[in-house]
Amino acid sequence: MSDNVQGAGLELVGLQKILGGRVIIDNLNLTVKKGELVSLLGPSGCGKTTTLRMIAGFLIPDSGQVLLAGKDLTKYGPEKRPSAMVFQNYALWPHMTVFKNVAYPLKIRKMGKEEIEKRVHGVLELVNLMHHKDSRPSQISGGEQQRVALARALVQEPDLLLLDEPLSNLDAKLRIKVREDIRDLHKRLGITTIIVTHDQDEALSISDRIAVMNEGRIEQFSTPQELYDQPATEYVANFIGSLNRFEGEFAEGRLIEGASVVGIRPEDVFFHSSQSAGSYSAKVNLVVPRGHFHEVYLTRDDVKIRAFMSTDIPKQGDIGFATISKALIYKDGKLARTA
Amino acid sequence: MTTSNETLNKENLAVLKTARLSLFGFFLSVPPVLIILLFIGLPIVLAFIFSLGFTSGPNRIIALLGQEIYTKDNWWGTFDAYKSVFNDSRFFGNLRTTLLVSFVTTVVVLTMSLGLAIYQRIRGGRVAAVLIALTLVPLFVPVVIAAFAIRSFYDGTGFFKSLFEIFGMNFPTLTMTTYAVAIGTIWTSLPFSILMISSGMQSIPDALIETAQDAGAGFLRIVRTIMIPLAFVPIVIAATFTAIGVMGSFTIPYFLGANQPTMLGVEIVNFFGPYNRPQQSVVMAFIIFAAASVIGFFYVWANVRSAKLSGKI
Amino acid sequence: MAREKTTLNLTSGSWITRVFVGAFIVFMAIFILGPLFWLAARAFATSWTFPNLLPDGVTFKWWGTIVGDKSLLDAIRNSLIISPIVVLVSAFFCIPAAYAFSRYNFFGRKTFLIGIFAANAFPTIGLYAAIATLYYTLNLMGTVLGIIIIQLLGTIIFMTWIPAAAFSSVPRNLEDAARDAGASKLRVFRDITLRLAMPGILVAFVMSFLASFDEATGTYLVGAPEIYTMPTKMYALVLNYPVQIAAVFSILLAIPSVILITVARKHIIGGHLAEGFQIK
Repeated sequence: MSDNVQGAGLELVGLQKILGGRVIIDNLNLTVKKGELVSLLGPSGCGKTTTLRMIAGFLIPDSGQVLLAGKDLTKYGPEKRPSAMVFQNYALWPHMTVFKNVAYPLKIRKMGKEEIEKRVHGVLELVNLMHHKDSRPSQISGGEQQRVALARALVQEPDLLLLDEPLSNLDAKLRIKVREDIRDLHKRLGITTIIVTHDQDEALSISDRIAVMNEGRIEQFSTPQELYDQPATEYVANFIGSLNRFEGEFAEGRLIEGASVVGIRPEDVFFHSSQSAGSYSAKVNLVVPRGHFHEVYLTRDDVKIRAFMSTDIPKQGDIGFATISKALIYKDGKLARTA
Repeated sequence: MTTSNETLNKENLAVLKTARLSLFGFFLSVPPVLIILLFIGLPIVLAFIFSLGFTSGPNRIIALLGQEIYTKDNWWGTFDAYKSVFNDSRFFGNLRTTLLVSFVTTVVVLTMSLGLAIYQRIRGGRVAAVLIALTLVPLFVPVVIAAFAIRSFYDGTGFFKSLFEIFGMNFPTLTMTTYAVAIGTIWTSLPFSILMISSGMQSIPDALIETAQDAGAGFLRIVRTIMIPLAFVPIVIAATFTAIGVMGSFTIPYFLGANQPTMLGVEIVNFFGPYNRPQQSVVMAFIIFAAASVIGFFYVWANVRSAKLSGKI
Repeated sequence: MAREKTTLNLTSGSWITRVFVGAFIVFMAIFILGPLFWLAARAFATSWTFPNLLPDGVTFKWWGTIVGDKSLLDAIRNSLIISPIVVLVSAFFCIPAAYAFSRYNFFGRKTFLIGIFAANAFPTIGLYAAIATLYYTLNLMGTVLGIIIIQLLGTIIFMTWIPAAAFSSVPRNLEDAARDAGASKLRVFRDITLRLAMPGILVAFVMSFLASFDEATGTYLVGAPEIYTMPTKMYALVLNYPVQIAAVFSILLAIPSVILITVARKHIIGGHLAEGFQIK
């Protein structure tokens, strides 16, 4: 009994799935707006792929519903659902050319030869692969294979696009490029898209909203910025970005004795040679260059802490002052306050 | 996703194919090849020319021992032995029976294997495992025993005959007919075919089937456009080995078939031994070879085509 | 991730399908197992009157008559002597070749592999007739050596292709590590390669033994009437002895098969049989 939100997108209601005796997904609820790009983010085993497969129709939930634009899809198999999925390993049929791979869904829909050609060419141009349309999957690179898989999904003009770990098989440079391509495609076509990933950079850079998952539950579902600034649970704080974690309380810019958990992002730690408000004397133990920033390990009288700095990098052994500008305080795993 | 085993084999193969040629390796590999050349290649050549009337040299002794031997009267030989076989009224009946049983067996065995393999691939489960285990039982049983067992099962005092008799009905005695031969050849051909085709089906990754589902394909379409093409080579292997194996079979038709018409395998042994017409026996052997090589050619073509399509060539 | 088969559930689970499947299982069981049980029962039957579905009485006496019959014992003895010899000779010639196919690149490698394979694709009866023709000249008809050679031919494909695949599956880096630790090439082969390839080689031994032990047609053509092995003796048994004795003999003949294949079944059935038959 969900509200029929204007242009309703995907709704997962109370999904539960038990596999091999274990509860994989436990009472999962999610509402994705139409045209949104949402990532399911989490480590392996957290249930994100299981969730995706339930959305696609490869798994039937033990209880709960999958709704798209208000329509209950739960009992339908994948062939009947208006979703299209891009598999992690692309799953291109090796005995068909690129063209035939992409044309396959249209042949099923009994489209005419000319119409098929028009649509396939259109989508191949969109992903920039027209020059390979008669090649076989074994003859093209991994990145190109992925674009074929994407084209095959897009040619179905789906209401829902599902991507399973789209970047995990690509090398680092290619990852950044493909990331941008996915974002551009999404802007152009506006299809509701769900991406499963374990890479937070990937999720943070292209998602409208991210669902951070842990052991079959969604810990937080917000925009990237909110996840970063206000991680609702300790788990999310640890997962998104880096975190210095301490047990205690935080007051007046220092760590003190206490029963909570204090999380401090390295970007929120500053080291200067001169004192200022809220700073306390500190010594630099170790400096590790990391490319466009440096990791600086500091010792203060209250903490040993890690900072990320990109200017005025100190040297090992320097004495100075360190300021902590922001701390996240957690009680029982949940965010109590920020300071 | 390739298994670690696959990547391992690919690596090993890649290293091997680019290694420089080794003389040591060559010599190590020679013995079995030599044995085959000597005891398969050579006899085939000698037998072939024997069939064309070359009755001297290595073929001298058998030419002396045998009856109705035709010797060549010009340099390339003579077709007289072939003519005498073709003129035998029973020959074409036997040839037809051989090809027919071969064809029917291959079709039946392939259908059963495909059905079972697809069922196992899609459904999995205990039913499939039980059925496949059943079809593999003949692997354990030597052909002679199989032939004998099938004979006593379908003969005048066989199982079905007894069962029907108890109910006052008549079940035909199938032994000494071509039907029994076909039952026997199907029985013995099932295991290899199942092993091949189910292995081929099992190696199709789930993702390739699921994507087709996701694209909207129904069961039959997936079988027709995805599964069978991807298992094409094992299917061809199963078909060709079954067909060729049945064509050359002896024990099953010997135990289960009629005297006439029978399969050529039995006739070859008859002519070689009891009738003492070795030359005609060899002629018939080469006619079977000719039929088999047509099928073998098909097998090579299928292998090459598949390698081309998947980009290996 | 746990694998679920429910959505590869492309067929309906209605009761019609289930009845059909059930009937099919019964049909297959009768088709495949029926003849075997029917025959095996005869080995213990005093007599069997038609149209009863059960024997008239149960006895073990037929087993005793086998022991008392010299020609049958000779056949058993011949089989048990000849087949191990065949397997050992085959291993001696073929396993080094298998290693070569797996580890070396040489002129004719692919041709040889295909040739060995193609030699097995010939209809065997034609082959045996051709070989018999040669045997007359070489004076090998009716000799043990002649039989050994014919049975050897049937084992070659098992003793080359299967061990070759087994050797190929040994990771090279394990051999490299041994070399790095100081082992000579021969030591590496003995301690590492051979050890790791042993399961596959054992399968080759099993398949070769069975190919030799169960070989009937060629041995019959070449050995009868001087020498009989268990399978070729069956031909005569069926004609000249009571069904019960033939049944007992059948069970005896089947025992090595059943034992060996049961022991090696995981490798035969689970192994990459289909891959092995593709020309690589």
